[in-house]
Parts: sequence; C-alpha cells; structure tokens
Amino acid sequence: MILPSLAQAAVTGEIVGQGGQRFPIAVSPLKNLGVNTGESGRLSTGIADAMVHDLELSGWFKVIDRSAYIESAQGSGITLGSFDFKDWSTIGAEGLVKGGFSVQGDEITVELRLFDVYQNKERIGKRYTGRVRDFRRIAHKFVDEIINQFTGIPGVFNTRIAYVSTSGGRFKEIYVSHLDGSEKFQVTDNHTINLSPDWSPDGRSILYASFKDRNQTLYLFELFSGKEIRFTPRAGGRYLSGRVSPDGQSIVATLESSGNTNLYLLDRSGNLIRQLTQDAGIEVSPAWSPDGKQIVYVSDRSGSPQLYILDLASGKSRRLTYSGSYNTSPEWSPRGDRIVYTGRVGGRFAIFTIAVDGGDPRRLTSESFDSEDPTWSPDGRFIAFSSNRAGRYHLYVMQAGGDNQRRLTGSGGDDTKPNWSPRLD
Amino acid sequence: MNSLFRIPCYKFLFILAFTLASCAPSATPGPESGAGSSGAASAGSPGAGAGEGARGGAGESDTGASSLKQLQEGKSPVTPASSPMKDIYFGFDRYDLSSDARTILRANADWLKNNSTARVEIEGHCDDRGTNEYNLALGAKRAQAAREYLTTLGVAAARLSTISYGEEIPVCKEASESCWSQNRRARFVILQGRPTS
Repeated sequence: MILPSLAQAAVTGEIVGQGGQRFPIAVSPLKNLGVNTGESGRLSTGIADAMVHDLELSGWFKVIDRSAYIESAQGSGITLGSFDFKDWSTIGAEGLVKGGFSVQGDEITVELRLFDVYQNKERIGKRYTGRVRDFRRIAHKFVDEIINQFTGIPGVFNTRIAYVSTSGGRFKEIYVSHLDGSEKFQVTDNHTINLSPDWSPDGRSILYASFKDRNQTLYLFELFSGKEIRFTPRAGGRYLSGRVSPDGQSIVATLESSGNTNLYLLDRSGNLIRQLTQDAGIEVSPAWSPDGKQIVYVSDRSGSPQLYILDLASGKSRRLTYSGSYNTSPEWSPRGDRIVYTGRVGGRFAIFTIAVDGGDPRRLTSESFDSEDPTWSPDGRFIAFSSNRAGRYHLYVMQAGGDNQRRLTGSGGDDTKPNWSPRLD
Repeated sequence: MNSLFRIPCYKFLFILAFTLASCAPSATPGPESGAGSSGAASAGSPGAGAGEGARGGAGESDTGASSLKQLQEGKSPVTPASSPMKDIYFGFDRYDLSSDARTILRANADWLKNNSTARVEIEGHCDDRGTNEYNLALGAKRAQAAREYLTTLGVAAARLSTISYGEEIPVCKEASESCWSQNRRARFVILQGRPTS
C-alpha cells in the first residue's frame, strides 16, 4: 500500500504535495559486520544520522525517532528474513533502512537496503566502498537512491554548496561543503573579499570574484588540481561576477567600466567574445537558462532594479518583473519553467519565484526577516538561500514551493551567496 | 568512490601553513600603528605597504589608507577627521549628487587643485541592503559620479581613479538607517606611487 502509492507518485515527481503527509520511515543504526574498533559505534550511528539528516531535509519523510526502535541493530540481521518486520510496523514505520559495514584499514564497505514494511519486501540493495572519512558521502548517495525509488528522480544529497563566509574572521572567503556541513573545504584564503562563487557544470571548478589582487576580477579555480586562471579585464575595467554556461564552454561576466556595468560573453579562458548589453545603467547578476540560449539578469534601466531576459540569438531583452521596486539575483530553474529571485518587500528582502513568461509570482519566505541569494538544486526541486532569521546570515534550504525551510549552516560568521553544485560522482 | 577533494585539501594545508608562517612576524603591532600621527611625521617613509600609502606627503594630507587595506589591518575604513577630502553621502539605491555632496566635492576639488601632484582613488560604498553584485555596480556608479563632478570642476581625470567596494567594507555595522546612511558614501584616498587607471 505504501510503496505502490509511491510508485504512482513517481509520475508527478513528488512524494507528497505541499502540506501533505510525510512518509514514515525508520533508519536503523548500521550493523558492524567486521571487527569491532573504537570507531565502530561512531560509524554505526554516523551513517544512519547522515541519512536521517538528508531524509528530513527533503521534507518528504517523517523519520521515526531512534529511541522508539524495538530491535537491536547489532543483534538482528540486515537481509530479508533475518529480522522481524513487526518490530517496525509496530512503531509506525512504513519504510525501513537497514545496513551493515566493515572497515579494512582506511577503507569502508557499506551495504544498505530499503525495505517496504507493509509488503515485507526489499526495494533497494546497494554496496558501496570508500574511504572511512567519506562515510557520509555513502549515506548521501543511498538517500539519493531512496528518493529515486519514491519519485523517479534521484535525490540531490550527493552535492555540495559553494558559499561565502566570514567564519574565519573579518574577511570573506569561499568554502564548499556538503549540505550537512561535512567535508568542508576552504577554496580561498587570501584575507580579502571573495564573492559570487559559481560551479562549473562538471563540478570540477569554481568561478569566483575576488579583490585579492586589489582590483576586483574573476578567477577560475580547479578543485582537483588546484590550478587557477585569472581573468584579466580590458584596461580600466573590472569583472564583478561571472557565470559558467550550461555546456561549460563560455562565461557571462559583468564588467564595470567608467561606472557602467554591462554583460559580456567570454570563453572559458576569459577571452572576450562579445558584449551582450550596451546600457549606461547597471546590468548585473546574469544567470543562464538551462538550454544556454537565454540569460536572465538585473537592470536598473527602468529606474529601479528589475529582472530582464536576454535572448542570445536575437540580442533582444524583455522585462520579466513589474511588481516591487527592487528585484535582484535571479536564478533559472534547471527545469526551465521558473526563475527564483530576491525582491524587496516592506523594507525587507524575500525570495520569490516567477514563471518565465512573467506570470504567477510567488513569495516563498517571510517578510519579517531578510532572505537573499537563492540557488536551485540541480533537480530544481529545492532552493538554498541565505537568511538572517536567526541573527547572523546562515544558509537555509527549502522545497521549491517554499515548504520545509531548514537551516544548513551555523558558523560563527555570516554565510551568504550559496551556489549549489551539479550532481557529483 | 573516488577521492574528491584529496588534492585541494593538501593544497589548502600547504597554503595555510605558508600563510601562518608568513604572517607571524607582522602579528605584533608595530610602531606605525600609532593612529593619528601627522602626515608630516610619516612623509618620506614608504612603510611596509609601499605603493598603497595612506599619506600623500607633507602637511594635512592624511586621507587614511584604502578601505581594503584598512580591512586587512583590522581597522575601521573611516576617513580621518584630519583628511583634506571629506566623504560624500548618497540616498538608498541612488547615485545622484545632493547639494551637500556637491559642496563637499567643490572643497575636495580646491584641495586637489592646490596639491596638483596628488592622485586620488575614489571609493564607492553602499549599505548592506540589496545584493552584493548590484551594490558593487551601484558603488561604481557613486564613485564615477564623484569623479565626473570633480572633472567638471577642473581636476584632471587622469589624477582620479575609481573602485567600488559595494557593501563589502562598511564603516558602520548596525542595521539602522543612521548606520546605513554612513555606509552609502564615496571616499577619497590619496595614492602614492601607483599609476592611475
């Protein structure tokens, strides 16, 4: 009754509708299948905790609290027939995740299974091998499989978010981490101001703007090799930001010169291809359509910052937003149908989405605090953003309709300008 | 599972170690940190940060260092009271010059004409409302508005460069209009030994 209803839901790509019931699932601590070490307990619960975090972040599941579990994780089996489904149906679980692990040196092998408690069936079984310290990544990958089982589209938990943080002090540096804050990596450490990180579509590079050479310009940093390319603007100009195209072959950059900012198309080495806008005002914050044929951006040509869509083939722009006097930082949904942006309402900033034809604008966050800098998940089903609702700016994630807003980061500084990676290996 | 990020992690450790090592000696406050020292006292001493000098030579020419340098040194990017060139201020999301701003710019132009070797970088700043990128563009507009007015008053354009720090280096950090209004400004910083762009 449960998973079949999920199979139906797969048609629409959603497990439950807005405000609908969440699917009750239990996630057992993992059974140690190898030798006991000092780390075994931490791994047993750590892998389960990482899955619980992701399932709850999705907003589609109600994870039954571990204190209610009846069976002993280490005393019972992890395969069909080696445990009693009644132990799980009794506590209201309709889905069940069980698994085991063994550690060999610095390598871990993890087996994970999803069971249908009502039908007493196994739905997914996977085995993963990786470095022990990457055990959370295994958990994220399996949750992506669970979400694929339920919705027909894999989850987005094996991804990273690049963002700007002042957690290291008064400087703004760029970091990347998983959504649960694990595997945090500091991309810049130059004690200046680094802004606007943008993932390349292959997930291997970060384009960002920095004042590290005093005059602001763009840098393309390769995460795997540590190589970096500096983009040299033409004389008297400064690159304020840039975005890599969906095919990875070009970059739309904002260039400021004599006080005017316009959009320019560059190749991936930073060579100028052509100027895209020619305006005496402010043209900033470009973002690509998923097919790479259009760019949504901000212009103040009407007298206030508003969103416009530029068609690259014709070179023509059309205005997208007409309500509100300050609309900025647009991002085009990977699904193509909507654009998310930051709008000013009642002296505060909130996250809105609007259809690509300009219809159906919706406010997703409260106007009693500020929320800014939205970024789509690679499947278009979630939006991450920064907000000061808990005092300082932290990163949050919500469903694309605005439900289930949850905090991701809690560093001592301000975390802003999130940019969601593509799906990663 | 591949080994994502293994290489950059090592790189980062290396950079961190390098930075710690190279920063260690300067961690002790030196004698140059005596704020308020007169321009005359420091004239002719290039200092550690040569090329980004705060002081334009003899006399009342202490405009303070560039805001980025102030940030790096852990100082507030405030313009010293003794600066011969005062800040000008702007309305929210505006870059037109008020009559007060023009009055200040006329005084700044007079000083520049009397000190004809001084080259100045005009910094555009914004309050922290709105998005970082838009504010970088807005700050550039503010700096450019000041530059153009100084030029119409007879200051050679080649002596005036601009930079925008957007909302990134505020002089006041509270969320209130009195604070925001202090951050919506253009600052005038005397450059030494750097070509203007």
